[in-house]
Amino acid sequence: MPILEITDVSAGYGAGPDILRGLSLEVEEAKSYCIIGPNGAGKSTLLKVIAGLLHPRSGDVVFRGESLAHRRPDQVLATGVCFVPQDQALFPEMSVRENLIMGAYLVKDRALIKERLARVYEMFPILAERAGQDAGKMSGGQQQMLAMGRALMIDPILLMLDEPTLGLAPQIAQQIFSQVEQLKSMGLTVVIIEQNAQRGLELADWGVVLDLGIVRFEGPSEGILEDPRVRELYLGKAAGSREKK
Amino acid sequence: MTNVIQVAILGLLLGGVYALMAAGLTLAFGVMRIVNLAHAAFIIASAYISFFAFEQLGIDPLLSVVFVMPIMFFFGVAVYQVLFRRIEGSAKFGEMTVLLTFGIAIMVEGLLGFVFTGIYRKAQPGYANESFIVDGLFLPEGDILFIPKGQFYASLLSIVLLVGLWAFLRYSQTGYAIRATTQNRDAAEIVGVNVRRVSAISFGLSTALAGASGALMSYLFPFFPFRHWQWVAVLLALVVLGGMGSMKGAVIGALVLGVASSFVVDQIGPTWGPMTFYLALFLILLVRPQGLFGKEVPA
Repeated sequence: MPILEITDVSAGYGAGPDILRGLSLEVEEAKSYCIIGPNGAGKSTLLKVIAGLLHPRSGDVVFRGESLAHRRPDQVLATGVCFVPQDQALFPEMSVRENLIMGAYLVKDRALIKERLARVYEMFPILAERAGQDAGKMSGGQQQMLAMGRALMIDPILLMLDEPTLGLAPQIAQQIFSQVEQLKSMGLTVVIIEQNAQRGLELADWGVVLDLGIVRFEGPSEGILEDPRVRELYLGKAAGSREKK
Repeated sequence: MTNVIQVAILGLLLGGVYALMAAGLTLAFGVMRIVNLAHAAFIIASAYISFFAFEQLGIDPLLSVVFVMPIMFFFGVAVYQVLFRRIEGSAKFGEMTVLLTFGIAIMVEGLLGFVFTGIYRKAQPGYANESFIVDGLFLPEGDILFIPKGQFYASLLSIVLLVGLWAFLRYSQTGYAIRATTQNRDAAEIVGVNVRRVSAISFGLSTALAGASGALMSYLFPFFPFRHWQWVAVLLALVVLGGMGSMKGAVIGALVLGVASSFVVDQIGPTWGPMTFYLALFLILLVRPQGLFGKEVPA
């Protein structure tokens, strides 16, 4: 039984053309998904549609039986769907602690917020060390950890990460991957867009290949990059046909 | 020396009131990117409410803040919901708010002129023409300082309201949401802030501050409907100096220009007082366009 069902979704920005063109996808509970695809495939747009930041022009997004298609982002978040965008979207002039508290903006129980704050600090000790520092003054890796920690403050059911290692040094990126592994082991459903397709697919249970706004191919992540259709998309027609021969 | 202290005190007292006026303008810009050219018209409208409350009902202008602020808050929320919500999704939202608020300012001015005519008004509570007299202390023998009671009370009330606003923004949940929306609107949406609701509340707060400023204006400065154009130029100079959207910048800008204009008036003459603000506006735009505490916008 899928936790999230995306059915025939078309979406775009303003009066521009459709970026997603009748995309359909199912996401199972407690599994992890890596979405890959060339630039302009619609990967980030898909996550924005699920998060309620962009409303679909047609089609539906159903999470645990509830349609999210025309809900506001705060209403989507309240259902347990949390999104960490590419630029982390932090509050640069707020302290690390204030950023984390903002992550629990929809939570009214102060004791629960305190409890979650302690849990996030335990998971990301650097955030506890820098609790009073302005988020804007942290390094890229620390900001990414803060963005992930902030997402955990709402105790999400489905966590969507858009290129969490973009622009990070390999060593720092490895730390982020380890944290994502930890989130998976906690039973969270994770959808990740990753520029390092190899590493992203190693991390995920299921791989989804997007191109021109539709799902071109999906399957178990092991060996997905060896598939000639995926190689063709990534390396061009020549590579694809060589593979076929 | 005594004269310098006297002028500085008068400048600081006025600066405190300017800070309250500018705080509302900068709040609207910081949260919603609205350049509210109607802010001063709202201040003048509020000044009329306080003036007539004093003239007809004998309510002290300082006390009238208690009802003028809520009236203006709900007025601001209504204006936001009816007018600004319609253009929220526009790619040229910033530019459209300039045109929209320009139109609102003309409408408010026309309405006030029609109802109250163009004659000068100024409430005259007892303390408006009285002063505290300070002597001794560090002053040379025989020298005294005058602290006008009206300006002193107005400045005190401004400080109380600004500290209240600061505490509200710093510690309340709505305050967190307003600060978050000011710093990163998209991020605020992502963490579950209903930015439309927060924008409406912020605009209401902005007009409530205009309301409080109007109550003070009713007895500090003579006013008539057309006067708001002069005031909006002054207020824009204050917030541009401080950095558009920066509350701290608006307060510091107001205090600095309050004192500067006070010295210009004393040394050169009252006609040159308003020129201080326009000159500061030109200079800051030439030297540091983002203002003292504003962020540089990439080209």
